[in-house]
Amino acid sequence: MTPGKKRLSYSYYPGCSLHASGREYDISTRALFKALNVGLKEVPDWFCCGATPAHNVDELLSLSLCAKNLSLAEEVEGDLAVACAACFSRLKTTQHHLKEDDTKRKQVEVAIDGPAALNKPVKHILEILAREFGLAKLEESVKKPLMGLKVAPYYGCLLTRPPEVPELDDCEDPSIMEDVLRALGAEPVKWSHRMECCGANFTLSRPGVVLKLSNAILESARIAGADCIMVACPLCHGNLDIRQKEIKEAYGAPDSTLFGNIFGSELHGGSAPDQRDIPIFYVTQLAALAMGVASESLGFESVITDPKPLLRDKQLL
Amino acid sequence: MKNKLMHLSNETMNIGFVKKVEALSGSSVRRCFQCGKCSAGCPMSTFMEHPPNRVVRLLQLGQGQRILAGRSIWYCASCETCTTRCPNKVDLAAIMDALRKLSWDADGPSKESYVQLANRLFIENIRTYGRQYELRLGAAFNMKSGQFLKDLMLGPKLISKGKLKMFHSKNKNIAEIEGIFKRIEEMRKKGEAL
Repeated sequence: MTPGKKRLSYSYYPGCSLHASGREYDISTRALFKALNVGLKEVPDWFCCGATPAHNVDELLSLSLCAKNLSLAEEVEGDLAVACAACFSRLKTTQHHLKEDDTKRKQVEVAIDGPAALNKPVKHILEILAREFGLAKLEESVKKPLMGLKVAPYYGCLLTRPPEVPELDDCEDPSIMEDVLRALGAEPVKWSHRMECCGANFTLSRPGVVLKLSNAILESARIAGADCIMVACPLCHGNLDIRQKEIKEAYGAPDSTLFGNIFGSELHGGSAPDQRDIPIFYVTQLAALAMGVASESLGFESVITDPKPLLRDKQLL
Repeated sequence: MKNKLMHLSNETMNIGFVKKVEALSGSSVRRCFQCGKCSAGCPMSTFMEHPPNRVVRLLQLGQGQRILAGRSIWYCASCETCTTRCPNKVDLAAIMDALRKLSWDADGPSKESYVQLANRLFIENIRTYGRQYELRLGAAFNMKSGQFLKDLMLGPKLISKGKLKMFHSKNKNIAEIEGIFKRIEEMRKKGEAL
């Protein structure tokens, strides 16, 4: 698949969130791929990957659900493009485990009543943009550079961890998001929390956990001077965007955090605490925006922390 | 419990349990030399009575029941930081999965019921619909946990933003999912799978 010679084309596993709470990730992924002239065909009748709850209590079920999805994906041509970091992680983990462990593979094959198809490359959207489409070509395709937009690239947990499984980037010091942002003309900021957990699926069972962990992430982004955060996972997006107002209510001034206690007065120079709204973008929204896709077709109406004032301010709308 | 002397003997150590954990997780617990990197990087350790390195230490000492009695395993976010940073290749995230499964199979003697409830409803959703039906997941969680007002204002907002669908149709190949659940149950009944 040499770019330029043959049109890039992928099969696509959106996952449950992208059909519901993360709908703007799906909308913007499709819009971006169309703008880049890259094919994207959804796997028919895919199932939930089981996400964290399945592997939490039943690894065999988790592996079987993913193996079933991988065999459904065989019906569509092209490597499997995945946008959700959790689905991506589960599908890659399944391939990794079942290739290494014959006993598990045999059990899974009994469960799905067929052979486990493990050879279709599973690729995250970031990987497709940076490596397969290519950073140089991405930069060339930019119609509206994201000039002056300071973005905190947020990797979260599952894009890079555990080592050896996602094969996306370094598990402690990745750069793929920063590379993509630079290609789009944006300015990635250096910050402390780009690989910390947001609280993930505790949003249902123990939202207090999410408020605490996501508050630290938002705080860190503000301290680094970011205008916004870029994510590649619908769960991270949900926690940072949907719960942002609640986080502010719960934690108020940043001085109530450990960070604030230690550095607060120096950093803020005694002025009013930084309470800026931090809009959360999916990587595909920012990329599509830079490709000149109309903002109306990027699902911004579904976002809770309104990104439009920031984009207008930066003359990107 | 923390400050009480721990008497180790054949009666107080359950080595069979540790072997089960090792078999399920595919990771040794004996390799751990207690450097504590896992707990240092753990975003959830402040919520746990036994931080990750102590969970492994308790396993080394055959004290699985102490772990299951607490809430630590249910407060693990599966962020994989521990597994990533372990200098001795102890796959702590997999050990946490194994411990949760053993607790789950024993019908959860743990104090932490909300996380278990959320997991159960999530898996039920897969079996019933094939994909997640988020509105049902949230509503069922509130009903069953008795927190009727939890995120009450959030629901209508998310519906108006198109983020929560009111209605959800089942996968048309849903019978295949039921088959997977059934065959796993059968394998376990026959002792062919853990």
